[in-house]
Amino acid sequence: MKENKQKQPYNTLQNTVWALSIGWHTRRRGLILYALVALAEILNNLAGLYIAPKVLGLVERHAALPTLIGAILLFTAALLLTQGGKAYCGKYATFCVVEIRSAIIMLIGRKFNETAYPNTMDPAFQRLGNKALDATESNVSATEEIFRTLSTLLTNVGGLLVYLTILSGLNPWLLALMAATCLGEFAASRYKDNWIYAHRDDGNTYYHKKRYLRDKAESITFAKDIRIFGLQNWMFDLLDSVHDACLAFFLRIEKKRLLVDLVGAVLTVARNGIAYWYLIRLALTDGLTVSQFVLYFTAATTFTAWVLGILGNLSTLNRQSLDICQVREFLEFPEPFRGEDGDPVPKTNRYELRLDHVSYRYPEAEADTIHDLSLTIRPGEKLAIVGLNGAGKTTLVKLLCGLLDPTEGTVLLNGTDIRTFDRKKYYALFSAVFQEYALLSTTVADNVAQSVDGIDEKKIWDCLEKAGLTTTIRALPNGIHTHVGHEIFLDGVLFSGGQTQRLMLARALYKDGPILLLDEPTAALDPIAENDIYRKYSAMTAGKTSVFISHRLASTRFCDRILFLDHGRIAEEGTHEALLRKGGGYAALFEVQSRYYQEGSDF
Amino acid sequence: MKHTMREHFSMELRAIKMLHGVSPKFFPIVTINNTLAALLPYVTVFFSAKVLSELATQRRPEVLWKWVILTALTTGILAILSAFFKEREETLLDDIWGRKEILFCKKAMSMDFADADRQETRDLRAQIAQNENWSGLGLMYAAIVYKEMVKGVIGILGGVALTVNLFAIPVPESAGNLRILNSPLLIFLFAAVLIGVSMLAGFLYGKVADYTNRLTRDATFGNRVFTYMCTFPFAKNNRLDIRIYNQQPLISRAYSDNNAVFSADGSFGRAARGPMGLCSALAVSISAVTTGFIYVFTCLKAWAGAFDVGSVTQYVGAATALAGSVYAMLEAYGDMKANTEHLATTFRYLDMPNAMYQGSLTTEKRADRNYQVEFRNVSFKYPGSETWALRNVSMKFQIGKRLAIVGENGSGKTTFIKLLCRLYDPQEGEILLNGIDIRKYRYDDYMGIFSIVFQDFQLISQSLGSNVAGSVDYDAQRVKKALTDAGFGPRLESLPKGLDTQLYKDYGEDGIEVSGGEAQKIAIARALYKNAPFIILDEPTAALDPMAEAEIYAKFNEISGDKTAIYISHRLSSCKFCDEILVFHQGAIVQQGTHEALLSRKDGKYAQLWNAQAQYYTK
Repeated sequence: MKENKQKQPYNTLQNTVWALSIGWHTRRRGLILYALVALAEILNNLAGLYIAPKVLGLVERHAALPTLIGAILLFTAALLLTQGGKAYCGKYATFCVVEIRSAIIMLIGRKFNETAYPNTMDPAFQRLGNKALDATESNVSATEEIFRTLSTLLTNVGGLLVYLTILSGLNPWLLALMAATCLGEFAASRYKDNWIYAHRDDGNTYYHKKRYLRDKAESITFAKDIRIFGLQNWMFDLLDSVHDACLAFFLRIEKKRLLVDLVGAVLTVARNGIAYWYLIRLALTDGLTVSQFVLYFTAATTFTAWVLGILGNLSTLNRQSLDICQVREFLEFPEPFRGEDGDPVPKTNRYELRLDHVSYRYPEAEADTIHDLSLTIRPGEKLAIVGLNGAGKTTLVKLLCGLLDPTEGTVLLNGTDIRTFDRKKYYALFSAVFQEYALLSTTVADNVAQSVDGIDEKKIWDCLEKAGLTTTIRALPNGIHTHVGHEIFLDGVLFSGGQTQRLMLARALYKDGPILLLDEPTAALDPIAENDIYRKYSAMTAGKTSVFISHRLASTRFCDRILFLDHGRIAEEGTHEALLRKGGGYAALFEVQSRYYQEGSDF
Repeated sequence: MKHTMREHFSMELRAIKMLHGVSPKFFPIVTINNTLAALLPYVTVFFSAKVLSELATQRRPEVLWKWVILTALTTGILAILSAFFKEREETLLDDIWGRKEILFCKKAMSMDFADADRQETRDLRAQIAQNENWSGLGLMYAAIVYKEMVKGVIGILGGVALTVNLFAIPVPESAGNLRILNSPLLIFLFAAVLIGVSMLAGFLYGKVADYTNRLTRDATFGNRVFTYMCTFPFAKNNRLDIRIYNQQPLISRAYSDNNAVFSADGSFGRAARGPMGLCSALAVSISAVTTGFIYVFTCLKAWAGAFDVGSVTQYVGAATALAGSVYAMLEAYGDMKANTEHLATTFRYLDMPNAMYQGSLTTEKRADRNYQVEFRNVSFKYPGSETWALRNVSMKFQIGKRLAIVGENGSGKTTFIKLLCRLYDPQEGEILLNGIDIRKYRYDDYMGIFSIVFQDFQLISQSLGSNVAGSVDYDAQRVKKALTDAGFGPRLESLPKGLDTQLYKDYGEDGIEVSGGEAQKIAIARALYKNAPFIILDEPTAALDPMAEAEIYAKFNEISGDKTAIYISHRLSSCKFCDEILVFHQGAIVQQGTHEALLSRKDGKYAQLWNAQAQYYTK
């Protein structure tokens, strides 16, 4: 924690200004309303402070009844109005600042979605991203709560100034003494807050662990295993032990909170004692009236609340600033790829991809995943990549489509280093089906068309047909406008593994990019469906460059050239027949897979 | 739905009992803490009024100092005492918030699988969770209501004790017209104002709750959108497509289209600046009217000479606190009423009966593992589905054999397994084990004879050893043997912490990631460790490369030993090493026999499936 403190690129003031500026541009009403809340709060406090002494004064003086009653009514009205005004403004302001937080979430989401792929694997980026989300996740997160903190700070400063004016007749030493007692309370509460802040990762860890176990215990996928293997007692043991450990942690926090309470209790007694002592002496010597006594006593013993409030607000603001700082650091995380400042991708229908002595090593890894690999993919060529798990097939595809930049060597498109392009424009060249896929919880149409406007429904149906999904989608209540998944819309459809894979294929076809990348697109399909895709493969790839990765070596038959990857290098390349004749690694792999299909072979 | 007062209280009580079972210290601490918290303001009011009374009258220094010292001591001691209880209450409250979820876990793990798998069950559970997240309503709200009620009751008792004299002490005869203040009717007027204002506030408060309830659906929807947007970019699966398919604009649109609920001009914002905002502002501030009334009444009496100004502060303070307690009490009752519906939902979930019939027979632990399984005219539909997932399936197989199950996606293969191991019961027909309907066996006993590696098997982020054994404590030698038999041996040796190695990072930074193939081997080891007479593997090689696949094939005989093994796969090559093959098509078994026998039927489904794949491998 201490280490962090020195590295903050922005200070509290800068972060406060940043939050205010986003707030001002998003929903300035929120800021104005919170200022009004502060004003109403001060006025309400004053009405509460004066009602007893003023009314008691009138009773003491035996003032005329209408005056007495009039005064009470006036105060009642003031209390009603200020209290009501504060509640009304505060309530509406809440939704204004939610909108401000939402705007910040949008910025964070955008950064996540548009940042260069290697950043998403960078632990530093992930950590900042997590912190940025923590700082925006709820109504009490820093990016929303800071506006309320500022509002209370305004209240406390205003309140203090007013009270000091009221108490200006009293001995300044008395006030100084009272204010000094605040320091003790503040020190204790700061100690507690710092302790909690320093241990908040522990707290979060317990929270996540509990959450994780609960989700697993209630998970429908795990439900089968739980029943078949009788895992209930194991889960109960784990749940009990994490809750017990967490309770022990809560008890440690409790000690710190208790300390604050005890210090507070003792100092409150001390303050009240001092105020009594001073004011009673004043009453006995100077003949202070009861109403004056009440006014001074209340003001003197509660003005410390403003001081404590200010100290507390400042320390809260400081903490919130740390959180906001992490949001800013995340948003400003350096981007290794060119964006709109990059060159446009040349428009042509012949794209040649070339890898020139390309090596790639994952961060922290001990060996290259791709090592000194050179390869040219001719326009319109159908390439197959095969190899064992871990040979580097998927990494090679990621290098081709620009999700990763090589650690050494260059990837060239028609002779130009792809690093010079606007990367988004470069991505537009590729239609890809990856093993990891993003299914959006919106509609089937959105998932196929992947665009906000200009959706061509006929083309969507065409692509669904090619991917063999027409019957499935026709059976849905709203056809292609049916919702997908349960995350957002509860009426969404849940696709099986095979159906999802076909949907991903339809999406790739709809995008119709000049280069098609397919990474294990048939793993979840049955033999007949798989064969169906194989038979359509030529039609699907007509006029396009394509790269096909599969464990099913049958698929390589349709390709012009096969690369057999081994430990990040091209171990063999050529046509299926040529590689079989060669009798190397590819032939061995094919032999292993086809052995079980040979007639008369024995085990 | 309308509920009677009795129902409100009985639901509340049941929830309290349930929570008391989860954390037995919680309610006693809450009771003590809130009694103290309710009394503390009266103590302060009482003592400071003594000081003021003396100041207003004789101003005897020794009396003044006596009261000052007493005030300081009592309030100090009470504050210290209540700090202990207050903080313990907060700790236990934090604890019980999490711990009560174990009740839901218990239910989820013990209900019939058929119920767990139903969409309505999941919706019900989601509704309970969302209500709690959005408004706190549900089980824990009952605890909050209890807390408020204790505070309210004690507050009312204390308030009454300190205000009695306000009514009892008459204004003197000299007060003329103001003697009307001595009328006992004024007690009723006071009570009427107090209760009237509280009820008005309660009414307004109810209005606000109505508005909020009307918006609840928007809110839970908005919260779902929000959660989705916050987790979407994080999910590892999504990182590639987001970029290649430029999904940011779509995601951004989905967010702004659907999450405007909470914004300044969204449904909540509009309600907050409109009638809902006014009602809630008035509900909060209306108590000022009571305060005003109390001041008028008390001051008039003092003005007329009933008591001194010091006592005015006591009566005003006590009567205001009393009014606050009455208001809080009514509010707590309103909260309890509002919560009843949500408690009913919660109990509907927790009380869901286990409808699956359970017999009492034990499956004999046969040393010879000689079991026979028979399906007789079995038909099955998933709940809520129109179509039969399995139709009229009859088959028989002997134990100790290797059985392969093949067929297209959705042909009923996995359903067949789910029926066999009684995750579901068929609607028609019966399944027999050694000639006896499987429903007549004890459920847990029957479960004991199956080890299954499902396609979507799950390992959890815990130690490797406990994942294999399914318990915290286990026999390390047996776990090691199971892992070695499943082909995980070499990797196990490379792990410095051995069986104590944590899997995955969800439960701690020190966990290791395992590949899909490795996870599959661990899942197989778990199945072996159980050492059940039946071992069933559902698509165990989908994620594997040809070499790893061949390894599993080669080991299959060894793995299954003398057990009955059932193997489901899209890779038909696996059929070659099985004694018998079941071919599923559209929910029925269309063929059964050996590979050679089935292949010889050229027009059969099996030949079609086989050739679709084998054509590429045969020269």
